[in-house]
Amino acid sequence: MSDGASRFEEFPVDAVHVGLTLFVLAVLFLYSPLFVQPPGGTFTVLEVVVLFLLYAMILVGLNLQFGHAGLVNFGPVAFFAVGGYTAAMLTANEPFRAVGLGYPWPVGLLAAILVAAALGVLLGISTLRLRDDFLAIVTLAVAEIIHGLLETQSDITGGSLGLNNVPRPIAGTTTAGDGAVLVSTIIVFGALALLFYGVFRRLSASPYGRVLRAIRADEQVTETLGKRVFRYKLAVFVYGAAVAGLAGALLVFYNGAAAPGFFTINVTVIVWIGMLIGGAGSDRGVLGGLAIIMSFQLFTRFLNDQIPFVTQDQFASIRLVLIGLLLMVIVKYRPEGIWGDADELGVES
Amino acid sequence: MEIPLAQEVIFGLVIGSYIALGAIGFTLVYGLVNMINFAHGEFITIGAFVGYFAVAEIGLPLPVAVLVALGGTAVVGWGIARITFEPMNDAGAVPLLLMSIGLGLVLRNGIRAIAGPDRRNIRTDVATYRFDDLGFFVTSQQLLIIGLTLVSVLVLHLFLSRTMLGIAMRATADNEDLALVSGIDTRRVRNAVWLAASGLAGVAGVMLGTAQAASPTVGFGQLLLIITAAILGGAGSPYGAVAGSYILGVAVTVSVPFLQRLEETLALNLELTALNSTMAFVILIVVLLVRPGGLVSAEVRTS
Amino acid sequence: MTLLAVDGLRRSFGSLVAVDGVSFEIEAGEIVGMIGPNGAGKTTTFNCILSVIDSDAGTVSFDGADVTGGPPHALARRGLVRTFQQTRELETLTVADNMLLAAPEHPGERAWHAVGRTSTSAQREAAARERAMELLEVFDIAGMVEEYAGNLSGGQRKLLELARSLMLDPKLLLLDEPFAGVNPSLTNEIVGHIEALNDDGMTLLIIEHELETLTDLVDRLIVLADGQVLATGPPAAIMENEEVIDAYLGG
Repeated sequence: MSDGASRFEEFPVDAVHVGLTLFVLAVLFLYSPLFVQPPGGTFTVLEVVVLFLLYAMILVGLNLQFGHAGLVNFGPVAFFAVGGYTAAMLTANEPFRAVGLGYPWPVGLLAAILVAAALGVLLGISTLRLRDDFLAIVTLAVAEIIHGLLETQSDITGGSLGLNNVPRPIAGTTTAGDGAVLVSTIIVFGALALLFYGVFRRLSASPYGRVLRAIRADEQVTETLGKRVFRYKLAVFVYGAAVAGLAGALLVFYNGAAAPGFFTINVTVIVWIGMLIGGAGSDRGVLGGLAIIMSFQLFTRFLNDQIPFVTQDQFASIRLVLIGLLLMVIVKYRPEGIWGDADELGVES
Repeated sequence: MEIPLAQEVIFGLVIGSYIALGAIGFTLVYGLVNMINFAHGEFITIGAFVGYFAVAEIGLPLPVAVLVALGGTAVVGWGIARITFEPMNDAGAVPLLLMSIGLGLVLRNGIRAIAGPDRRNIRTDVATYRFDDLGFFVTSQQLLIIGLTLVSVLVLHLFLSRTMLGIAMRATADNEDLALVSGIDTRRVRNAVWLAASGLAGVAGVMLGTAQAASPTVGFGQLLLIITAAILGGAGSPYGAVAGSYILGVAVTVSVPFLQRLEETLALNLELTALNSTMAFVILIVVLLVRPGGLVSAEVRTS
Repeated sequence: MTLLAVDGLRRSFGSLVAVDGVSFEIEAGEIVGMIGPNGAGKTTTFNCILSVIDSDAGTVSFDGADVTGGPPHALARRGLVRTFQQTRELETLTVADNMLLAAPEHPGERAWHAVGRTSTSAQREAAARERAMELLEVFDIAGMVEEYAGNLSGGQRKLLELARSLMLDPKLLLLDEPFAGVNPSLTNEIVGHIEALNDDGMTLLIIEHELETLTDLVDRLIVLADGQVLATGPPAAIMENEEVIDAYLGG
């Protein structure tokens, strides 16, 4: 069952409404004197939850692009990075050695979305006519160029050190310590992630999503049925870029700093593998997949401390070997992922 | 100090030769197996380690080590492809691409976990020939890599034009279905492609091991240059890949002093030369956008 | 009234001239057949009319407007709709989605309506679904509505493609070899559908390789050979035409 109507029905609660409500509550919570102090040993886990929520925002856009429309975007981290650095450079107060304009954080947030979207438009117009495997290479290359620029243009971006003295709006609302900030951050980011999930879910579960899936199946036929294929491709590319840009801004406002290390190709690898594990095109499934791969990373981080005779470097390598193996096994034996639909993706498992 | 142009060109030819050995294999795989192999760099790394082992542990002379790496990497690369890519040959471009990314992660990090991140230089005696009147020098190592590449191209050319299997390969590259119905054993062709592509990658690996070092990322570092060269030459065309490699090699080398001068002229500190590796990506994108078919032409657009 | 006018259409691939100055007109309400030996340039002519590929020269006007080189999606919305020689179902979509996708002017295909879940979108969807079910009933594949199109038989695919193109309410329907690889009973069924559509006022242009099926069906035949219009006229006259007979026997 994949037609519009049944997609509507399968969902008892509407994520857009819940997300909006939660966001309003989160803001009220921030400006109230209330706070939640998490137990001491949970900080590492909570840090990963923050990252999960940001990656989830990137992933809902990526899933609309690849899972529904079939666009092989191997550079989502490029928009994440551009959003993050735009926000950081506009708002930082006298960073160590970089541009820091000291504007208030809402300016940075808005600009991050706009600049990331603009990059999406520019890149989309020039590359979306390329065949899918070449689109993959170009988007990957653009992400690497941007990462290279961030590392080398020290006078602008602060080079490998990045920028500090970026405002931390959520941290500013409480004096109850890092733990309380973490919890507040998770509530706000969680509400936003849920909201974006809901919005993108509505896109994919509507006649709009049907056009996207038709484009993935056969662009030419879709065009002869009267759809402006290129415009749809560009639109989903830009929507994903804008949300990834916003996620980048949220990350630097959470950390109070931006550095190239936040925005490496690893982000792309993790969201892609999460999407493939969960099942590309399954809106909830991909988030499940992301949760699985990030839990695996977290779990193995704890494990590293327990195993003797293995150096940290070796352990990191082994972890990547396992992630690579997982990717190979998924692609080969279960191309529709855990929750994906093999018929809809046109694959045989 | 200003480096003479002749010297820059020699450096460019050397870099172009490393790229060419990788790019020929990459483009053969692209043309005949219809996949972009992101693990091709790891085949080069395997070659570097085989070469290191042959020279440093067994004590073989370099020319013999090159042959060992050629044969060893050919067999290993072919074996890996048989297990990973061949069973899903019909799955399409994107699944194969994802598979190769997974394989690349496994090989690169597997090698790192076993060998450690150390750089192992393959030590060889290097003679330097100076031509001070003309303002340049070459080393025996540089002559060897350029010579090896030229021999490889020659052998490949003879293979593609004079042998039944080579002619079958060209037919398969043109149209696999047609080749299949005209009785060409496409499976045998693909085996030959994997052997040739991995073998050439092995040779590139040994030579990179002597010039730089055998390290877990030595091949991966070449990958985007290789992809760029292959696309520049028209993806799927081995001769185009060779031409693309040398153009790219010379362009990257010559652009360094050019960028330095540009910065001095503009009196800016943009650290453009630090972008040298980024240059390859920029070239790649410009090529794909301006002339997606490369120097020759190939279908890379959807419609 | 002239619905489609093609004038001096030309297209070459390298040194091969596939379409070499093709001109013809189609009147509203006609069924016209386009025949010719393999390689005569029939499908290329189709593709040029619909600007799936660019033509080198010539003009195409449809329903009183010059549509030369116009984007394919715009032609579809004007009412110029085609089917493909090899059926091209969207295999990863269900039969229902294949049909609903073709519904024109669907507000739900715009992002704001999709996110806002507007009532205009829901109404259009309901109306489109009703129309789709009607057509699927007519074509006798309503029972497969929730099946993925990839699981249909070859004959069912032909019917679905025809039904799907009708969702667009075409003024002119271009059928590319609708009887290729179809068994005799299904051929009769499709012929019946085409006649019924024409009785309702639809204009059709049908490419066919074989002559036999078309002679009883069409009002007029256009014969292509070597990229040029060799002859045009009622089937009976065409069958007598010496040049046509030569082209078929010689080609």
